[in-house]
Amino acid sequence: MERWHYHALQEAIDSSTMLVQGNRACALGALDAGVRFFAGYPITPSSEIMETMAYELPRVGGVFVQMEDEIASICACIGAALTGTLAMTATSGPGFSLMQEAIGYAIMVEAPVVIVDVMRAGPSTGRPTAPAQGDVMQARWGTHGDHPAVVLAASNVADMYRLTMAAVRFAQRFRTPVTLLADEVVGHMRESFSTELIGRYRLTSGDFDFTPGYLHPELVREVHPPHVLGSPTHPHVTGLIHDETGFPTNDPQKSEQFLRELHDKVGNHRDELCLYDVKNEGRGRVCIVAYGSCARSARAALKLAEQEGLPVEVLHLYTLFPLPVEIIQTVARRVEFMLIPELNLGQYAREVRKMAENWTTVISMGKVDGTLITPREIVDRVAELIGKYESV
Amino acid sequence: MAERLAIEELLHTEHLPHLWCPGCGIGTVTAAFLRAILDLGLKREETVVVGGIGCSSRAVGYLDVGTVHAIHGRALAFATGIKMARPDFTVVVITGDGDGAAIGGNHLIHACRRNIDVTCILFNNSVYGMTGGQLSPTMEVGRRASTAPYGQVEPAFDLCALARAAGATFVARGTAAEVRTLQKLIKQGIEHHGFSFIEAIVPCPTEYGRRNPPADPVQMLKLDKARSVSVAEAAKLTASELGGKLVTGVLDQDTSKPEFQAAYAALVARMRASGPEDGGAPPAGEGRR
Repeated sequence: MERWHYHALQEAIDSSTMLVQGNRACALGALDAGVRFFAGYPITPSSEIMETMAYELPRVGGVFVQMEDEIASICACIGAALTGTLAMTATSGPGFSLMQEAIGYAIMVEAPVVIVDVMRAGPSTGRPTAPAQGDVMQARWGTHGDHPAVVLAASNVADMYRLTMAAVRFAQRFRTPVTLLADEVVGHMRESFSTELIGRYRLTSGDFDFTPGYLHPELVREVHPPHVLGSPTHPHVTGLIHDETGFPTNDPQKSEQFLRELHDKVGNHRDELCLYDVKNEGRGRVCIVAYGSCARSARAALKLAEQEGLPVEVLHLYTLFPLPVEIIQTVARRVEFMLIPELNLGQYAREVRKMAENWTTVISMGKVDGTLITPREIVDRVAELIGKYESV
Repeated sequence: MAERLAIEELLHTEHLPHLWCPGCGIGTVTAAFLRAILDLGLKREETVVVGGIGCSSRAVGYLDVGTVHAIHGRALAFATGIKMARPDFTVVVITGDGDGAAIGGNHLIHACRRNIDVTCILFNNSVYGMTGGQLSPTMEVGRRASTAPYGQVEPAFDLCALARAAGATFVARGTAAEVRTLQKLIKQGIEHHGFSFIEAIVPCPTEYGRRNPPADPVQMLKLDKARSVSVAEAAKLTASELGGKLVTGVLDQDTSKPEFQAAYAALVARMRASGPEDGGAPPAGEGRR
């Protein structure tokens, strides 16, 4: 029952529904998933995640520390993770950039840490209160060297709750940092959040039944034996290329094997890691591929398109990386166009194009004016694409 | 003989010989640290040593306790996470003057300010040894480095003064020339409940000495010994007489300030004892429909 002791959930039980902010739902998902350590640094539009953790963690015996910068925040989280404590931090683009070196370290030492990036318009200081999806490729390739990445994207308040839980689960099971991307609108919007919603994700799925500590009982095979500080083996943890003993090696064969294993433990498990949802499956000539707040617009656009007799399906991606190759290619084989609305200049469209261009025409629909892409804009573009096709 | 054997038990001897140059002071100070661990009878699985990047930080690769070889400059941030997650651990940071005072300077002052119960041993050789002898923030004016071929023009940090001003509650300095004293200082630092900062002055004949003679390790150690004055002796000297001297020993100890982890634990105990309605500003983003 302890999980129900969070202040906000108590209120939810009392009132059955409450209006919850996306950032707050993220924090509650983390608490429900067993996160008991949070270190962060204030940055718009993510600060409410940290504020909620500051409020809730002392009440459940967890640790909250406001660090001196984002670098210290992620490093403190990795330190906590190395002791077997589930740790999370949250930030936005500029802070996410500061964390990148340490994220590579976490990948290297296989430390399970969750990083939430509530994206704002950039680059640089940009427009801190405007939504954007400009950090997609930063989440994939922000740290140096060849490395795997697990990146999820939340499109609404419920996603913020359940995908935070999924991020924790993936981090535990694959022993790697997991990034959850949201954007300013998803982080700041308030939606009704019911106890039934919480219950659905918490109670009916064994997947989300966590045990505190990150030693997931079903650790994927490729993962090295965990290095937990405080264990009788008193391990050595290093960001140098190391072998199974944890100590550095300069052996070319071992170096290559280690890096390939790091990649394989993610790449070989796309089935499990790639979360998505197809709407109007198999009935579209155009497939709108969307994630984050754009997926909300895409879902609304589907309804409009149906009213207007336009054959559309929607592929809503919750996992951006590892690339959901199978579903993208399956859909690409049956549609004439893939339209990718996103709040950047086509970062993910390029990824989709690489996967799908053998079978379909991939159209990027980017927007960087700090406003959302509306359902009407998407439907107009769909009509234009189909119209062009008809007139040829 | 018994001590020698015990020290070997704290080392991964299979990874020796170490990578430090002949005449380097890091091994000497690391041995003093290990003797301090033995003096205190610390358990290996409850002892975690965190290093950053640089010559001194590489010591963690030889110690058979829990060890973390972190990223450049951030050892204290890692240590903060480890200590807060596992308050029962003895957490020690091994860092250098580049790692701890340049790239990691911000984390150093904030660890001091928090007064977290972590012991930081900063090996100061005034130079970046691993990357080829570039100047560090503790290099004195006029000294030469690969990036100060005509002599350093910036003033040097006095790291003990910095740590003290930032709020560290145990501040000490020793030299590789007086290793038994250093062993005692490290032991006292680990025993101190709060942030302990210990500056260990070590010679780097390879990268510092060759540009700033003497380059002979023994001569370098003798010079450090000659310019050392104890805290008691220093009290009798004027400011001008102290110029160029190294004041060694415990420079400051304050047991009255609250330690960070203990203060946080008290907060947790208070919040767990209280009801959900009690205390605290409500978090953002909350509202009923």
